[in-house]
Amino acid sequence: MFSEYHLNGIFDEMFEAVGEPRGHYRSVHTRLAALSSDAFQRRRRMADLSFKNQGITFTVYSDTTGVEKIFPFDLIPRIVPSSEWETIEKGLSQRLMALNAFCRDVYHEQRILREKIIPAELIYSAKMFRREMLGLQVPRDIYIHICGTDLIRDKQGQYLVLEDNGRTPSGVSYVLENRAVMKRVFPALFGAYRVRAIEDYPHNLLHCLQNVAPQAREDPTVVVLTPGIYNSAYFEHSFLARQMGVELVEGRDLIVDNNSVYMRTVAGLRRVDVIYRRLDDDFLDPLTFRPDSTLGVPGLMNAYRCGNVALVNAVGTGVADDKAIYPYVPDMIRFYLGREPILNNVPTYLCSRESDRRYVLEHLHELVVKSTNESGGYGMLMGHQSTSAERAKFAEMIRADPRNFIAQPIVELSQHPSLIDDRFEGRRIDLRPYLLSFGDRVAVMPGGLTRVALRRGSLVVNSSQGGGSKDTWVLEEDGDGGGMTHSNFIAEGVTV
Amino acid sequence: MTQSQMMNGQDRGVTGAANRPMLSRVADAMYWMSRYVERAEHISRILVETSSLLTDIGDLAPALRREYWRDVLRVLGLDAGEVAEQMLQGTDEQVAFRICHYMTFEPDNPSSLLGCLTMARENARSVRENISGEMWENLNKLYWSLRGDDAQARYDESPQEIYRQVLLGTMLFAGLTDQTLAHGQGWLFTQIGKSLERLDLVCRTIAARSMLLQRPDMGIEADERNIHWMSLLRNCGSLEAYRRIHVGDMEPESVVAFLVLERRFPQSIRYCVHHAHDAAVRVRAEIDPHTIDQAVRILGRLNTQLEYADVGEIERIGLISYLGQIRSTTTDAAEALRQSYFLH
Repeated sequence: MFSEYHLNGIFDEMFEAVGEPRGHYRSVHTRLAALSSDAFQRRRRMADLSFKNQGITFTVYSDTTGVEKIFPFDLIPRIVPSSEWETIEKGLSQRLMALNAFCRDVYHEQRILREKIIPAELIYSAKMFRREMLGLQVPRDIYIHICGTDLIRDKQGQYLVLEDNGRTPSGVSYVLENRAVMKRVFPALFGAYRVRAIEDYPHNLLHCLQNVAPQAREDPTVVVLTPGIYNSAYFEHSFLARQMGVELVEGRDLIVDNNSVYMRTVAGLRRVDVIYRRLDDDFLDPLTFRPDSTLGVPGLMNAYRCGNVALVNAVGTGVADDKAIYPYVPDMIRFYLGREPILNNVPTYLCSRESDRRYVLEHLHELVVKSTNESGGYGMLMGHQSTSAERAKFAEMIRADPRNFIAQPIVELSQHPSLIDDRFEGRRIDLRPYLLSFGDRVAVMPGGLTRVALRRGSLVVNSSQGGGSKDTWVLEEDGDGGGMTHSNFIAEGVTV
Repeated sequence: MTQSQMMNGQDRGVTGAANRPMLSRVADAMYWMSRYVERAEHISRILVETSSLLTDIGDLAPALRREYWRDVLRVLGLDAGEVAEQMLQGTDEQVAFRICHYMTFEPDNPSSLLGCLTMARENARSVRENISGEMWENLNKLYWSLRGDDAQARYDESPQEIYRQVLLGTMLFAGLTDQTLAHGQGWLFTQIGKSLERLDLVCRTIAARSMLLQRPDMGIEADERNIHWMSLLRNCGSLEAYRRIHVGDMEPESVVAFLVLERRFPQSIRYCVHHAHDAAVRVRAEIDPHTIDQAVRILGRLNTQLEYADVGEIERIGLISYLGQIRSTTTDAAEALRQSYFLH
């Protein structure tokens, strides 16, 4: 099934050269090469059925009826050796410490603006900058408690940070479910490796949430706030609440009285201390933000301001997610931590800078242009695949509102074998690890969500754009996954 | 372990649960999830039984056949109006086909099997973290068995198989609810929902059938009556249990007494009232042990009334109005429950 596999001239995660798997992939490669297409398809059907029966789906709305789809799961695991992971872990922790220091700073002293490291107008023009947060004290000075950083690898295999996602990153439930399904349908594949466990994530998440409860509250009540069952990430909200053993609430379940938050229970009102909200800032409190929102809780911001409830993530972290502020993250690391960044950014042109803008407008055909406040693969121009009409439209949009656009050279994402029909083909991938901040330290989940652009040649991995995902294995120690034993083969035989 | 240590352990457990009362919205959804599953169970049973009975009586009583199909709609309060009249036009075969389809897949009919299972699943989804994985997976599979790409084809091949599948699936759900969920507040609300739904449907089913059998224009011979009372028992999932208690006896009074007053059988009205009352009392005890609420009060009175009732009393009042009273009391109890727990 690997017979017609092409390396396509980019970094391949599994192969050093045609027919030569990298050390840490050797054992998986041997197993996969020995399987027939039928055996593989059977497993794929098992996995798909398992997702469907468990209702692990997202809803795509077309016309009036919603169609439930499963997030395509690619059975071939992505493997990260421990030495590589060590660097990623350090780099991500460093980055999150700096981002939290930055949020604290822009909403208080603003040293980084006064020292002109970041232009102040960039901050004040950021859509996600929340004036309401100025001077507001958040518990333990943590703003981004939960972060889902997107990493990609360039042609040389260097890991680069593409986005930080410090608002409400989703996808972690798929990471956990992918692993569970993988263990069920492909148990023998694990046999040869020591893969680091990720199952304690919900436990760590709960601690991370309890960590910011108002000080005086013993045995604090933590809840997950969801927009409701029609939200595309509802499965995840419910999943996390279930895994942590806490209530999943909707806005209508909460009420603010005398600047404290309560939930409506069968026995009357019960105090709530920490809200892991999976709702954007805009919808949190109609008295402060969008008055037409019915998803939030009137008066929530007042309770927050009084320190009677903690919101996770804090309000206003979107300022750190702004794509025009992203190029300054390496400077933040130097400024707040006095260190050199361990992980690099993708080179970025800011259209609000005149010289950058001129360059961008002249090189649109070889750049990716992104709107600074969109996510999910929307509002993007892929220069090399665009028509001249599309380029003209973007050029006009950039000239009209330069602050709203950045551009980056097209990074040739690394590829990984995926099962396409009845054979393996290379498909582009990225990686989203999940980080939890405890203030003085950061816990990085060993692994994360590897997303795959299942369309041939596509560089866009978002699920809304035909992306899938695969299980991600971080190894306990470097090695080739040797130590395959006879009993593993028997297990394989049984599960086929 | 000494007895006092054990008691302490239990006390801690109870306190833990009482400290975490469930969300009103969750209680509401658990209750309705359970009601909709129960409704789907009853409907699938009626559809299986009606098709099977009409095969048995063949061409004997044409007027009766039409009325039997009308009763399927009547039990769910769908028999009035233009849609119902249109479905009841044409040949027997057409009527059967239309009503079965209407009660199975029709998206505009909230009481179709698919409608009930969709609502049950939506409710379950909204409280996914409060039910077990097994319950969710079972309900999800059941939903896809009617909603999946091959559902229509399987139905065309054999509607009966589909109904049996739904019947087994819903009963499995009830079993999983009992076996995989802690019997705390959430479970208690599912029990109240299930019991109130069941007793309401059993009341309606008995009333519809007994009115039909009393009509002189149906032309039912005395020696044919047995088969119709048997089918009533089957509609209520009670035939086998009835036979073991009333051997060889298919008198209407005995059948009615069994369905209304039998203490030991879970499909009987009295059992449902008892169970609903018991669950309501326990919900109250978990939340505030020293008080009772309106729902408990209403169900408690009804429970006592049924506990001391006999067939003579039902005959004196008249079966139809007796059942009517039970239903209206049940509606009051459901409303009181809503006021006490779901509207906080």
